[in-house]
Formats: sequence, structure tokens, C-alpha cells
Amino acid sequence: MALTGRAALLAALGSLPVGIWEPSWTGILAVNAPLAVACACDFALAAPVRRLGLTRSGDTSVRLGDTADVTLTITNPSRRPLRARLRDAWPPSTWQPGTETTASRHRLPVPPGERRRVTTRLRPTRRGDRQADSVTIRSYGPLGLFSRQGTHKAPWTVRVLPPFTSRKHLPSKLARLRELDGRTSVLTRGEGTEFDSLREYVPGDDTRSIDWRATARQTTVAVRTWRPERDRHILLVLDTGRTSAGRVGDAPRLDASMDAALLLAALASRAGDRVDLLAYDRKVRALVQGRTAGDVLPSLVNAMATLEPELVETNARGLTATALRTSPRRSLIVLLTTLDAAPIEEGLLPVLSQLTQRHTVLLASVADPHITEMAKARGNVDDVYEAAAAAQAQSERHHTAEQLRRHGVTVVDATPDDLAPALADAYLALKAAGRL
Amino acid sequence: MTTEATLPSTSASPTARQVWTRARGIALALVLLLVGAIAIAVIRSDARHGELDPRSADPNGSRAVAELLADRGVDTRVVTTLDEAAAATGPDTTLLVAVPDLLSRSQQSRLHNAFADSDGRTVLVAPGSASVERLTPGVTADPATSLDSTLSPDCDLPAARRAGTADTGGVRYTTTHLDADKCYTSERLATLLRLPDPTGDGDTVVLGAPDILLNDRLDKQGNASLALQLLGSRPHLVWYLPSLSDTSATGTDDERSFFDLLPSGWLWGTLQLFIAAALAALWRARRLGPLVPEKLPVAIRASETAEGRARLYRKADARDRAANALRSTTRTRLAPLTGVPVTQAHTPEALLPALSAHLHGDGQDLRTLLFGPPPSDDAALIALADQLDALEREVRRP
Repeated sequence: MALTGRAALLAALGSLPVGIWEPSWTGILAVNAPLAVACACDFALAAPVRRLGLTRSGDTSVRLGDTADVTLTITNPSRRPLRARLRDAWPPSTWQPGTETTASRHRLPVPPGERRRVTTRLRPTRRGDRQADSVTIRSYGPLGLFSRQGTHKAPWTVRVLPPFTSRKHLPSKLARLRELDGRTSVLTRGEGTEFDSLREYVPGDDTRSIDWRATARQTTVAVRTWRPERDRHILLVLDTGRTSAGRVGDAPRLDASMDAALLLAALASRAGDRVDLLAYDRKVRALVQGRTAGDVLPSLVNAMATLEPELVETNARGLTATALRTSPRRSLIVLLTTLDAAPIEEGLLPVLSQLTQRHTVLLASVADPHITEMAKARGNVDDVYEAAAAAQAQSERHHTAEQLRRHGVTVVDATPDDLAPALADAYLALKAAGRL
Repeated sequence: MTTEATLPSTSASPTARQVWTRARGIALALVLLLVGAIAIAVIRSDARHGELDPRSADPNGSRAVAELLADRGVDTRVVTTLDEAAAATGPDTTLLVAVPDLLSRSQQSRLHNAFADSDGRTVLVAPGSASVERLTPGVTADPATSLDSTLSPDCDLPAARRAGTADTGGVRYTTTHLDADKCYTSERLATLLRLPDPTGDGDTVVLGAPDILLNDRLDKQGNASLALQLLGSRPHLVWYLPSLSDTSATGTDDERSFFDLLPSGWLWGTLQLFIAAALAALWRARRLGPLVPEKLPVAIRASETAEGRARLYRKADARDRAANALRSTTRTRLAPLTGVPVTQAHTPEALLPALSAHLHGDGQDLRTLLFGPPPSDDAALIALADQLDALEREVRRP
């Protein structure tokens, strides 16, 4: 039950006849009794809310930054026309700030025995699953003085996927991959690459790749062509512990790591490698294994959608053990974690040798552009102290990275915008060097 | 479009039955509370009922004294409004004002005007300090009441002397009237005053406590005697019990309030506007569904530790550490530019010669800049940072 502004307005206008003609209890009664009767009639004539039928349809997933349309079908089984205002309630992060009221509210008439559709346009601001809350419907009477109100549950979930903004780098990295692949005229010979085929020598080819044995059998000079290794195994390890929660810009470190991981996965699956994903802090948060090349990216995106940073210290021992169990044969393990001194020195370094013994390890870390800015600050005392603190932080990171490199780990430390291409480059370099 | 015969119900609002199930406990509790309150009110209601009412036979009533007066030929009439009381004053009438403190300021003034020249007797029962000054000018009440309730006459008033001790102890009065009878004194302040009118043979009696008139106290001490003599001096007794229904309490001719001056149309129109405002409040108060809760992610900036460290440096004036950090960063950056391995960047013997060779300058200045003592004050620290920047630019230029 709810009153409307119209009823209040009529009551306010009623003060004129009360004041001018009949300033007494009689006048008050003469104005308010008909109003009350009209409200009661309105209430009786409004279509019942409880018996409405609600069904949903529409998008079930959306990339962060895009819009999703979810359709609500309202069936009016009663014999009274429904004049309704409804609110399709979703969690606050489903809307852009400030647009919630206009986006979630609808006005619609449903004639007796018919059904109508309304479309709610969602524009989520964060990753993860968004579950529809209740649908509240207010059914007005024919006079618009009084209404019935009721709540319906129409469950629906929209999964908000990582935006994968780094996919703009994919074409250039794929071109670089094709260069490695020997499909273009420029051939880069790597050490550990596999023999592909023989072809005729053209000026400009590396003379070291001339196959003299084959040349002796033929009348022309033959060169060997090479192609990079294929069917290698790559394990992406996302650290979802407390260090991934720190915000760089206005997104957590984890989001930048995911972006880089997705670019690497897209690239590696095109290069014919198999990509698995492990997300870990103190237990396994997500595990994607054994997907085919065409299927790997959607499953990764799906698994990453619901990952949130946990405010716990990552268990490096457990992480290493799980990674070893997940990749039984030699593979490239990409650790997307941090270069902060304490977690690395106390957590990862003691157990790193277990990983480096059998696998190639690549560590990618999100650097904070704000630290870089702070390091350049000059002018007053505060700025210089900030610069000193930032310099201290940077040198600690460099020191940690140096320690890791000494263990044979390739380290990539870049700001969120540069991390994805830098990681892809590191992967291509490893591939070209035949270290996979 | 037609609808299917059966649709699964999606409604989440409670049905009437559910509402009743949830609310019946509270409703039952409210009903019990109400019943209890009424029962207690009914049981306890007669305790203070009809106080000083000559028609009441309660312990606090005054029916006994009225009956005794009737036996002696004095008829008692109860009035509840000021107009009746004022009209009843006369030479052969005793006017008893039961609780003068209940009268409003203007009522007390009117009452005083009415009985002042009536030649009758007026008995005021326990007026407080505010009322007594208005009803009997020249008399003031002491803020402290008497300790004892039973007092002896101590005066020449014949009625008091005949009655002897009586329960008059209560409010104590002083007066500036020289011919007043001051009786039943407690620490030299009278609890019974008789003030003869300056003209005529009327008088005013101010009584410190109502005890001598109450049913259950009438037979104690000389109460009955005193009461009968005070009230029985005239053939008629008018017993004025001030009541809330007396309209003279609010609207008097000379003191018209703001609302009396407004035309009634405005008042009733405003009342209707208040009703409209209440409806508008109900309209705005009804939400279209509840708020939706959501777990929020933590928002910690990754650079927070570095910022915290900067503030700590600032607070502790750690110029040595700050200078050290800045110098070591610059050395690390300069070493590869001058062809020195990074591992030897922090040894002056390796870095300085390479650097001066690169710059074709003297090495002493560079030694103080890159390996010198910590700056002595903040200005020196700022200067050091600028000099390190300048050096790096110089090395990078060629």
C-alpha cells in the first residue's frame, strides 16, 4: 500500500474550501472523507501485485565496461489493467554511479490477461557475479491516488568478465610470433628450435643454416628452416593473496595481472601451446586445466570473473606444491605476483628451487606508476622525502628482482598498462630462445 | 497474447496470513499491556478521587464537614467555574476556594476583584506563594513549609481559641496588614491568617493546609471545631472547585491570544494543510523496495607503504637515510652509463674515475655529491636532490 503525491496535493487543495467556506470539523470531514473513499476505491481497483508472473531472459555475461540487457516479462493474469511502476533492483556496482535511479525504474501498463517486457540495461563497474535482487512493483488505481505495492523474486545472474583491454596488443604480438614461426621471409634461428624442412637458399639467409649434406645431394644450396617448439605447457599462476589487493590507479593489482595473463594465454594458444590457470592464496581459488586451444580463453575469462583478492598472506609452499602437482611435465610457470621484498624473500625464495629444477619460471609483477611519479618529485622537503622513500622502494624491488634472476627466474616488472605486452614479449623471447 | 493457466508464483511479499502470524505476538503483548494498564487504573483510581470535594465520602473528600454544616443550617453549593463563583459572592456567603493554585493568573485577579468588596467571608485553602500575592495582596508565603502539622492557636481569634490545637501545619504566611489575626504559628510564621476587609465586615481567611476539611482528619484535634467556625459564619457556603472545563481559564476579554485574533478560516485551512503534509510525508516515506546490500572490495593503494615511509622520514628528519637512498639510486643509474658494472656502483674507487673521465671534470666535487656526508638541513637536502638530477642529465647528454 502506498499513497501518491496526487492524494497529498488534493488534500492540500482541500485547505481552500475548508478555509473559505466551512472552517470547522464539518469542513475537514467534507474534504477528507471523499478523499479517503476515493483512495479506498483506487486501492480496490488497482491490479493485484501478488498474482503477477515474472520471468527473465537476456544476457548472462558481459565484459567489464560493456552493457548487458536483461529483459523482464510481466504477465498480468487478473481482469484489471495494471498501471505499474517497477524497480528492478541489482547491487549498486551493477550501474554506473549516479545512473541507478533512471536505469532501474520502469513505468509500464499491462492490459488484463496480457504480458509486457521491460529491458533493464546494466553497466557493471566491477568484475564478478551480479545477482538480481528483488523486483518491486507498485500498481496504481485508475485515479492515481493510491497504489498496491509488492515484491517479487526473479533470480538472474550476470557474470561480469575481465575487460581484457590488452587484446589490442594481440595482433602485433601474433605478427611477431609468425616471424618466429618461419612463415614469413624473415627467419630467426633459435637455439632450441625444431627442424622444420629444407628449402632453396636465397641471399640473406643465415649461412649457418645451410645444410651441406643436403646441398651435396642436390644441385642447389639447401638451407634448413626451423620452427619454434610447439605443444609446450604453460601454467599461469595468479597470486590472489593480500599483495594483489593493493590498488594501482583505481583497479587492484590482480586485475592488471589478469589482463596480462589473458594476453599471454591468447598468444600461447595461437602458438600451439597448452595453457592452464591456477589461482591460489592459501587454497586453490580457480583451476583451469586441459582445455583445447579454442576453448582456453573463454574458460580462463570465466574462471577469472569471480576471483577477488583475499586479505591473507599467500602460502608460497602450498602454491609451489600445487603448481608442481598441476604441471607434471616440463613447462613454463608464469607467476603473477609481487616483487615486494618480504613475501618473496620469506615465502617464495626458499621453495623456488623446487620450481626452477624442473620448470622454466617467469615472474611478472605490477609496478606502481605512482611510485615512479613520487621518485621524480622535487621542489619542497615533503617532495624530496617522498622521492627518497620511492627510491628506496624501487631499489628494494630491484634487489628482489636481482635475487630472483640469480635463481634463473625471468622477471618482468612493469606498470599496469605495460605489463601485458612486456609479459608477451618475455614469452616470445623465451620461445625464440627455445627455453620452453 | 494469452497467459498460461499456471505461472509459478514469484511473489516475495508476505501474505495476510504470514503478516498475522508474525504480528500476533506483538499484538497480544500490546493487548495485555493495555488490559493491565486499564486494570491498574481502575483499582488505583479511587485513591485521590474527589479531593476536597464536599460531595465525596473518600478519606480525602470533605463530605463530613458539609454534612455537619448542613446540620447547623448552612447550605453548601458546589461551583466549578469562575463566573459562578464570582456571582455567588455576597455579604451572607462564605466562599471557599479549594485549590487556588489551579487558577490561571487572570482568573485569580478576577476572583480577587469579585470577593474583595463583597462583605462576605472568603476562605483560601493553601494558596502557594504565586497565588497568594495575587488573591490577597500584602500576604506572602514562606518557601519552607512547617515541620509539624499539629499546631496550637497562639492568637486572639475567638474561633481559634475555641478550637484549640488543629492540623493547620503547611504553608506559612507573613503579612503586612497590621490588623490581621496570625494564628497557629510555626516558628513565628502563621499558618492561618484572617484579614478583615478595610471596609465593611467581610474578611479573608488564608489556611495553610487543607487537613482540617478532610473526612479522615476532621475528628482529630480541634479540626472539626475550627472548620465549622470558619465556614459556618454565614448562612450560605459556596464551595469553589476549580476545573479544567472552565473556559475562563484560557480566553479572557483583556488577554486575547494570537490565535483568537486570526480568522478561524486560516486556522482550519492550516489544519487541513497539516493533514496534506502528513499525507505527503507518507507518500515520500514509502520506498520502492529495500536497499540492496553488496560486499565492497578493499581499497588499499599499493603505494601506501612508500607514502608512509616518506612521512616517517619527514617526521624523524631522517635526512641521512633520504640522502642515502637518493644517492644510491643515482649511482645505480649512472654506473651502466659510464661503463661500470652495477655491482661496483657503490664503490667510489670504481665509479668516480669513470664518471670524471666521462664528464672531463674534477672528481672531488663528485665525491662529495655522490659519497659525501648527509646534508645538514632541509634546504641542503633539496639542493642535493637537484644536484643529483643535474649530474644525471649531464651524464646522459652526450
